[in-house]
Amino acid sequence: MSHTLSAISRFVDRRQALVYPAPAVIVLFLIVVLPIAFNLYLAFTKWTVGLAQPRFIGLDNFLELITDERVWNGVKVMVYFSGLSLCLELALGLFIALYFNREFRGSEAVQAIYIFPFAATPVAVALIWRVMLNPEIGVLNYLLRSIGLPGSLWVSSEHTAVLSLVMVDVWKWTPMITLIVLAGLKSLPPDPYEAARIDGANALQIFWYITLPLIRPVLIAALMLRSLDNLKEFDMIYTITQGGPGIASETLYLYSYQVGFGFFKAGYGSALMVAVFMIVLVFNVVMNRMRLSALER
Amino acid sequence: MRRITYIVLMALLCAVMAPGTALAQVDWKQLQGTEVRFLMNKHPFTTFIEPKVAEFEKLTGIKVVMEVFPEDQYRNKRTIELNAGGKLDGYMIMPGQDELYYWKAGWLQPMDDYIKDPKLTEAAWDPKDFFASFTKAATVEGKQIGVVINSETSLLAYRKDLFDRFKVKVPATMKELQETAKFFYGKEVDGKKMVGITLRGKAAAATSQWVDFLYSFGGSWTNAQGKSNIAAPGSIAAFAFYGDLLKNYGPEGGSMLHWAESTSSFMEGKAAMIYDANVFKSLYENPKESKVAGKVGYAVIPAGPAGSVPHVSNWSLSINKNSPAERQKAAWLFIQWATNKQNSLAAMLVGVPAGRASAWNSAAYKAGDKQPDWTANSLKSFEMGQPQWNPPVINVPEIRDIVGQVIVDAIQGKDVEASAKKAAELMDKKMEK
Repeated sequence: MSHTLSAISRFVDRRQALVYPAPAVIVLFLIVVLPIAFNLYLAFTKWTVGLAQPRFIGLDNFLELITDERVWNGVKVMVYFSGLSLCLELALGLFIALYFNREFRGSEAVQAIYIFPFAATPVAVALIWRVMLNPEIGVLNYLLRSIGLPGSLWVSSEHTAVLSLVMVDVWKWTPMITLIVLAGLKSLPPDPYEAARIDGANALQIFWYITLPLIRPVLIAALMLRSLDNLKEFDMIYTITQGGPGIASETLYLYSYQVGFGFFKAGYGSALMVAVFMIVLVFNVVMNRMRLSALER
Repeated sequence: MRRITYIVLMALLCAVMAPGTALAQVDWKQLQGTEVRFLMNKHPFTTFIEPKVAEFEKLTGIKVVMEVFPEDQYRNKRTIELNAGGKLDGYMIMPGQDELYYWKAGWLQPMDDYIKDPKLTEAAWDPKDFFASFTKAATVEGKQIGVVINSETSLLAYRKDLFDRFKVKVPATMKELQETAKFFYGKEVDGKKMVGITLRGKAAAATSQWVDFLYSFGGSWTNAQGKSNIAAPGSIAAFAFYGDLLKNYGPEGGSMLHWAESTSSFMEGKAAMIYDANVFKSLYENPKESKVAGKVGYAVIPAGPAGSVPHVSNWSLSINKNSPAERQKAAWLFIQWATNKQNSLAAMLVGVPAGRASAWNSAAYKAGDKQPDWTANSLKSFEMGQPQWNPPVINVPEIRDIVGQVIVDAIQGKDVEASAKKAAELMDKKMEK
């Protein structure tokens, strides 16, 4: 008995690097690597759930994807939605962080209230926005009309659906960018600022020539974090518009969900997910390059 | 002598009864100890039957496990579970939506053998009592795959009180429907601005109500060659009429209206008319939720160039083909019991529109019927109705999305003909049969 035990302990001692992370590695393999590998395999098959078994069809799904108008609509909506919301969130987040980065009365209370949007449960918040955006009974049109402005169709019109979603996304996520940037601002060294002030630089010059270059890596990191979520934004869009009217606000991510779980075409749906993955990957590789080069400077 | 008479009489009695008992008696305890699992949609029928399951368990000794999910999740879960091959014996299905897909996937057990077997089915169950159009809808390749538990059609519901006040006739034709909608649109009633009519406009969800306009205007999903027919003149007219009706005389943001938004607009008293499923009567007439309870009249769909052609749809209970034989039989006993005459009538009395004519025509139901015009018009609609409320394909949701886009385009005021032609081409490419 004691012999076996000591044999085990000797084995563990000699192979610590293998043994200790093993449980985590096994779990990760099962819940991350395996599903991704299976998804990749499915992307090269034709398989409607229940109708026969997955059949290998090579690149056919990807060829179909290129000619599928709904895919291009999805890419367009994705670029439009993500591009606009990320830019706005970054700009607003930065300026609000600059505003918060000084002492004023009640600053802690304001900051606590300010982070509420992104602390709240996404689906619950989206459900409230869905009602607020309703052109008939929503509070937004009520407010607009009460100050004499015409109401908007918000998400009920093809023309304003994505813009309305951008508005909700900006409302929800700008605080996160602010928090990250604020942490970055607080950690900046005071010396360059003192030097600049002695040389007589004004506030704009200080911001442009000192704060912005120093904060750039943080900004890019915030953008990367946010873009990971934003490019695969699902719950908010699904709750508010389900991609409608028609497919006017259907991102590629929503379309792949519809193909997989609405149409149950698992093969084609997996190919669409691979496409989404590639877009997110390329975007992040580019962003990471930018971050590294900003750090080197 | 007396004893002989007695014996003869007894013998005669036995002779008369014996075949009867041997044939018509179902031994309800035959599968005692079996456990069956049913997947159910959150639906008034489920709310009705769930508390009664204990009665069935007492009668048969079969344990029934029921799991209930809201409709969107329900459809996903059902497909995934059936594919995974777990323990699932029976489930709710809308044959018009999923029957071809599920049949091809091998998930639907034909029930004809059970129905014919006197050891498994009581004579009193009387399959002929079910409305023929619904049983037909739950039949694939000549095999019955479901028993109807909820019979639906669509009706035009209108504000009786306002129609009386303004001396407006109930529209009998599509032209009158449009005129009536126009008449009420923008009218101030009791300090509220009305809309003429509310309809579903949300792409795929709208197709199942729009289909009645499609057929009433002489269009159809597919033509005789099985090709898409949604760009035919009648179909285009239906898209244009429906889109204009909602765009010009309906609530704002028509292309995002699902049934929940549409019915709440009507229940708020903002719309003079609504065209949607007849089962929503239970919403309109619920004084706790609806401001128009007791003020609603019902009519069949107004006639278009091709007449009044509503659809009929239904929820059915089906048996999983991959479940073991014993449990399939137990599931059948449950389905039979749940849809027998007594339970159908009891369901009818709490507002679940049963699939049996006897329930609809019973004195008990008629005595308590507060909306006889709803009952009369629903029955009329069942008779006139056609069961093809979805395109006749395996991939129903995909084709519904394609057709729904044309409805959205029509509501948004785009070129309907161009949109319909584009959709028809895409439909031909994507249809799977």
